[in-house]
Amino acid sequence: MTTLANEERAVRRPVDVAGARARIRPVRILVTLLIIAIAAQVAVFLITNPKFEWDVVATYLFEPSVLGGLWVSIYLTVICMVIGSVLGTLLALGQLSDFTAVRWACQLYVGIFRGIPPLVQLIFWFNLAYLVPRIAIGIPFGPELISWSSNDVISSLTAAIIGLSLHEAAYMSEIVRSGILSVDSGQRDASAALGFSSRQTFTRVVLPQAMRVIVPPTGSQFIGLLKGTSLVSVIAMGDLLRSVQLIYNRTYDVVPMLIVAVIWYLVVVTLLTMLQRRIEAHFGRGYARAVTTKSRRVAQESEIAA
Amino acid sequence: MNELTPPVLEVHDVVKHFGDDTALKGVSLTVHEGEVVAVLGPSGSGKSTLVRCIHQLQSIDGGSMYLDGELLGYEEHPKGLRPLPERRIEQQRQRMGMVFQQFNLFPHWTVLRNITEGPMVVHGKSRAEATERARFLLDRVGLADKADAHPRQLSGGQQQRVAIARAVATRPRILLFDEPTSSLDPQLVDEVLSVMKDLAETGMTMIVVTHELGFARDVADRCVFMAEGQIIEQAPAAQFFDAPESPRLQSFLSRAGRPPRTAESPAGIL
Repeated sequence: MTTLANEERAVRRPVDVAGARARIRPVRILVTLLIIAIAAQVAVFLITNPKFEWDVVATYLFEPSVLGGLWVSIYLTVICMVIGSVLGTLLALGQLSDFTAVRWACQLYVGIFRGIPPLVQLIFWFNLAYLVPRIAIGIPFGPELISWSSNDVISSLTAAIIGLSLHEAAYMSEIVRSGILSVDSGQRDASAALGFSSRQTFTRVVLPQAMRVIVPPTGSQFIGLLKGTSLVSVIAMGDLLRSVQLIYNRTYDVVPMLIVAVIWYLVVVTLLTMLQRRIEAHFGRGYARAVTTKSRRVAQESEIAA
Repeated sequence: MNELTPPVLEVHDVVKHFGDDTALKGVSLTVHEGEVVAVLGPSGSGKSTLVRCIHQLQSIDGGSMYLDGELLGYEEHPKGLRPLPERRIEQQRQRMGMVFQQFNLFPHWTVLRNITEGPMVVHGKSRAEATERARFLLDRVGLADKADAHPRQLSGGQQQRVAIARAVATRPRILLFDEPTSSLDPQLVDEVLSVMKDLAETGMTMIVVTHELGFARDVADRCVFMAEGQIIEQAPAAQFFDAPESPRLQSFLSRAGRPPRTAESPAGIL
């Protein structure tokens, strides 16, 4: 029996799968056609509908006041993101600390500032002078050392920076915290075993590895914050959205002016996304050829051979 | 190798609790200069906890430990003992080295940087000096060509050899091994053990927590048997294996009679 089967197998010529053709998949073809049809429909709608007034869009796209608004949005985003990230990292460390008072304070901060809508915060900080007419530095419940009038300190810019940064810090704290927790505790042991201080352990060992987890959601936060800057138009700050609003209030070209704003938001978001990919690749060093079973087996075999 | 050399490490009656469990119930151990001590015992006997406590990765709840006569983790004070500030504990850790079961190499750095970073950051060595020593050590563990690789590109055995080089690079007074071969594929165990044997022959003072009875017998000067958080028996290696006194050690050795890794070898399964 066995020998017969073997003879039969020997007679049959073995095939070569290298020449195999792809299988035809009708559902995929159908869905592809459907997507092309929808995309064409959308394109036709955008081009042929006169209400979009593309000539008006083109006229105002590089309008100095629009570009000025764009610049305000970008620098506000960058400033708030930097402050939010630094503050968020400190809050994350505080939340993970074994120092009870600090841990509670940080958890309370995150709980409160994640819960307040940023719009409410902006209005609150802008109207701080109503609540606190003078801002003073001094000994708590004791004498003041120096003080300013709140109306002098709080402009729409400072209100925007404070409100958005504090809001951002609460979110960044959770992102950084999850990044820190993602690093294996053995890494901290190994670092301590070498005699690194807890600060050296954090900056050299834990944080660079946590960045792999931190960067992708931070990219989303950055983008969210850029769009969130449109809220500052309520406190009379000249961001991108407000700069187009000022124009359509005058010309009534609401739709084309909003398109102008949308184009700029999309341009900046696309650039940010590209930047994010590069940063991810940077912090992915040492993980790129991560342990697939095959590569590990090859590594072991080559080692045994050597 | 004997009582004539000064003690590097003295452990006196050390107690360690984890919640309601007592991991170490008064362990005492003295390790002399150049001595290799193997710590054996069933899992859960407190072997790993002992070396982690010695390296102060975990605090102890009783007893005391001395490195070269210096009290570890605490200082004398007019009103009694007080824990040392973090900085002083770091300085004490810098005089010891540790090799972990899971290697714990830093995956974001190259092999070379894994080895140079400790001497540079902690011991203030120049980059040139640290690099020269790292290359020398990589050569000694047979990985001179892997200096620029990242740890994850290496096999487990190679990673552990790098981890040993990293621990040796800071010239520790004593090197602690926490089951260095337990997470390796069986065919990779020997390359790590042979590096450890080389190291022992250079006169390095070592405590090795291990399940490798063959290594303990061939390389260790003294073997310690632990069970349930206590040292049951300790003796020179030959006497430990050939004439065990306590019934627990006798049954441990007879059960582990076959070298455990042959029993688990995948070759047997295939």
